Amino acid sequence: MKNIVVVGGGFAGISVANKLVKKLRRKDAQVILIEPKEINIYEPQFVFWGFKNTPQKKFIKPVNKVLSGKVNWLRTTALKIDSEKRTIALANKDTLHYDYVVLATGAKMDIETVNAYDEDNIHHFYLLDATKKLQEALKNFKGGTIVISPTTVPYKCPPAPAEFTFVLDKFLRQKNLRDKTTIKYLYPLMRPYPEPRVSKKIQKYFDERGIEFGEFFNYETVDKNNQKIISLEGEEIDYDLLVLIPPHKGNKVIIESGLGDREGFVPADRFTLKVKNQDNMYAIGDCTDIPISKSGAAAHFASSALIKNLLLEIDGKEPTKKYNGFTVCFVVTSFRRSLLLVFNYKHPPIKIGLHNLLLYGLFKRSFKIVYFKALIKGYL
Amino acid sequence: MTEYEIAIEVDARGSFCPGPMMELIKMIRQAEVGEHIALLSSDEGTRTDVPAWLKKAKHELVEIINLEDHDKYIVKKLH
Repeated sequence: MKNIVVVGGGFAGISVANKLVKKLRRKDAQVILIEPKEINIYEPQFVFWGFKNTPQKKFIKPVNKVLSGKVNWLRTTALKIDSEKRTIALANKDTLHYDYVVLATGAKMDIETVNAYDEDNIHHFYLLDATKKLQEALKNFKGGTIVISPTTVPYKCPPAPAEFTFVLDKFLRQKNLRDKTTIKYLYPLMRPYPEPRVSKKIQKYFDERGIEFGEFFNYETVDKNNQKIISLEGEEIDYDLLVLIPPHKGNKVIIESGLGDREGFVPADRFTLKVKNQDNMYAIGDCTDIPISKSGAAAHFASSALIKNLLLEIDGKEPTKKYNGFTVCFVVTSFRRSLLLVFNYKHPPIKIGLHNLLLYGLFKRSFKIVYFKALIKGYL
Repeated sequence: MTEYEIAIEVDARGSFCPGPMMELIKMIRQAEVGEHIALLSSDEGTRTDVPAWLKKAKHELVEIINLEDHDKYIVKKLH
């Protein structure tokens, strides 16, 4: 019997494991998932949690509710992958042999490098606890300068910082604080979004809403005493409240195993999802270096090619199925408005407006249900 | 043509915007003042992004060498 091991149980890992057990005959192979966390969080909600006291349990499910019972789930951490011996050293002291391995270890928030999130007025919204701290700060905010800035690109969900800024603008207007607040959006590139056409749209919204944009701001450090954020380009910007997207890096197991690039992301073939210069190894989701969004949607659309290629390899054939980079991106422009972008490796994003409130409401409501009931379970 | 020695070469061919520019920024962080960096990029967006960023960041764009399927940007770290 072959061991197919999925390392990492976020959206990408769980959905790939679920799809694999549907495709494989159990007597031929077993699918093993290595993941110590017991819960799965619907992360698209993070951008809203700083503003609303929404019950978070509605967006969190136990892993055993979304993972197929046919997957052998090891509740432990993968420490090191030896690709020559095809073994994985586990935190529970066991060593697991694999025939094929799928890396789905995600992106890790490099909180330590910033070393500033313990301050009361420095925040982010990329982890559950951070959203709770931000919620408290926004509840008590009485006016001043709010600066939003990603430390670098790439980061998970490319539009998220702009989405947060749009919702922040709306939130402050609802609290009658907008005229007492300056919002500054500082971005590493010369436009507020990596893709030029989407960038124009975002810039238009910024202009309409009085949001200041600062181009080419590559985070260097924070002067906590003087409340300034300082860039590599030499700019110093004052803030009263700073929302700083943490740098992202690869997971420790990838770095320790020598499988990552300088930031610890896995170099993978963007078409086949095979890890470069490795045998019997695939990678999917936020852990890879492939040039698409770090998002659940991208992982979902990439998974079909990965699974077909893995099955081809198991049958002794060449892994020839190609992922064309197709994904969708849902850009929230206020609490009740959004854009839907559709694109692939070759074609720039096409915008589909969801400005009809009913349509937007239905889409937003149904998407969480689709995420937990269908996408992560591997039904789509 | 200026004489220079390349201290770091970054091959960002096949990477799309903003990949090449972010690679250059990483190298600028790592390089010593006065060193030259070569960035290889096949992405057209790099032709506008990199010169604009270098102007803002006050580093020198020594030259752009147009090759068959990519461009080579020679950059000097000034501070």
